[in-house]
Amino acid sequence: MDFFLQSFFSGMLTGLSYGLLGLGLVLIFRASEAFNFAVGEFMVVGGFLFYILHFSWHLPFLIALPMGLLAAAVFGAIVERTTIKSLMGRPALSMTIITLGLSNILSGGIQATAGSNPYTFSLDLPDLTVEAGTLIYPSPQVWAGILSLAFFSLVILFIYRTRWGLVIQATSESQPKALCFGINPQFVLLLVWAIATVCIGASGIVVANLGALSAQTSLVGLRAIPVVLIGGLDSIPGALVGGLIVGVVEALTGAYVEPFGLIGFKEVVPYLVLLITLFIRPYGLFGTVRIERV
Amino acid sequence: MLRVENLRVVYQEVISVLHGVSLKVPDGEVTVLLGANGAGKTTLLRAICGLLPVYDGKIIEGSVLLEDTPLHRLDSSTIVKRYRTTYVMEDRPVFWYLTAEENLKAAAFSRWNREVPADIEKVMALFPKLVSLRNTKAGYLSGGEQQMLAVGMALMTKPKILMLDEPSLGLAPLIVRELFGIIRSLNQEGLTIFLVEQNAHAALSVAHTGYVIENGRIVLDGPSGELITNQDVREFYLGTARVDQKRFLEAKRYKRRKRWL
Repeated sequence: MDFFLQSFFSGMLTGLSYGLLGLGLVLIFRASEAFNFAVGEFMVVGGFLFYILHFSWHLPFLIALPMGLLAAAVFGAIVERTTIKSLMGRPALSMTIITLGLSNILSGGIQATAGSNPYTFSLDLPDLTVEAGTLIYPSPQVWAGILSLAFFSLVILFIYRTRWGLVIQATSESQPKALCFGINPQFVLLLVWAIATVCIGASGIVVANLGALSAQTSLVGLRAIPVVLIGGLDSIPGALVGGLIVGVVEALTGAYVEPFGLIGFKEVVPYLVLLITLFIRPYGLFGTVRIERV
Repeated sequence: MLRVENLRVVYQEVISVLHGVSLKVPDGEVTVLLGANGAGKTTLLRAICGLLPVYDGKIIEGSVLLEDTPLHRLDSSTIVKRYRTTYVMEDRPVFWYLTAEENLKAAAFSRWNREVPADIEKVMALFPKLVSLRNTKAGYLSGGEQQMLAVGMALMTKPKILMLDEPSLGLAPLIVRELFGIIRSLNQEGLTIFLVEQNAHAALSVAHTGYVIENGRIVLDGPSGELITNQDVREFYLGTARVDQKRFLEAKRYKRRKRWL
């Protein structure tokens, strides 16, 4: 039982950072109906921006974190202006394909500048190791959960409590309607990409803190796909729930199935869960069921 | 004064919808544009407020002038923000997943300042029905309430010219009367209104001047009192004229002259 609880809760903690990753994708999908396949590379870029500020320039954590995320936001904004903006009003598929190309360019760029060797990435945060009986959760994992949850709540507060969040919601619902009330969708798309990049970059930092940061960290970005599809591509709570489901399923598989020799099975299991979810609920657990008439 | 001069619009480079439309919307008046489905009414409104690119449409000739400033090269948010011309799309353009109050706030985004809360109260006073629905999601409002919210949202942008696209669409006659009463009182407070309608009775009763558009051309215009008595308008739009049976071939043929602007 202890073993179960141990892996269950550590899965939850990892799942929270997947949720944050998923939030980034959901925001972009809601605003432009495009899927951002460059999510893994965005994570690595976010991680490296923070790495430079914190480890190379030795800025204290509390200054480096907001600055790193600001830099990530600027990065997202630049990407949006250079690649996405010119596609406004075009089918969402072309935006999605652009992000595929973006993913290749960025991963090449990262490998060219940072190489593919891992960078040690251990944040000097207060020790929050939780020990309860035989259960033990190492400090980086607890921090991953706390930071992810904090960012998630901040972004949700921004979306649901500020007027910028209000226009993001409005424009996500209908661009023509927003246009005729004088809301500029280009500005909204820029804002959305900046915020989404912050989410993805923050989860990059959190994930890197669990091990090391390298160009391969972008593979974690692949987890975002089952996360958002299980939760529903256009649902913000769905991202969190999907993240938790993927995290828990992964941890439990790692604990119970892999010892039987199925090494690497935990990478696959989220996709199996995804398949089952989509059989039962094609729009994901919380996704809006859309009626499309042809 | 808003002037449209010899406007030609095509969709997707080939589908010609407006073939040289000219009309005037004088300040402080209610101008109404009547026409059947597919006549080009909505296209004309989209052209005026810069929404055509969204629908893959293009102005290939002619101009839209506000006083003497051409509007047809500007994008819609500039037109709303700087030239105070707001278009209320047909079919009640409210944001379904936002509450009534959030809808009003979202509409005020382009001119956000300290007066916004006070303006929201003003709109609420104009449409008392909305007060109790403040925190209800707009998707759950009835058709009439949604239309009033949409007009309220347009007012939040502080327009000088308000363009309404079929505000009576799908509403009960009683609600239509209420809505047109509000339109009239808005106009009496000095708002210029350009109304596009199929409900000719209601529209002509509030309008000063009217235009009739058919197949992308203006075929008739005049003071609304004159249009109400016009034989063709009575027959085709009011359905009140008593005419002897006609051959279908001869139906809908106006005695037209070429209009030069």
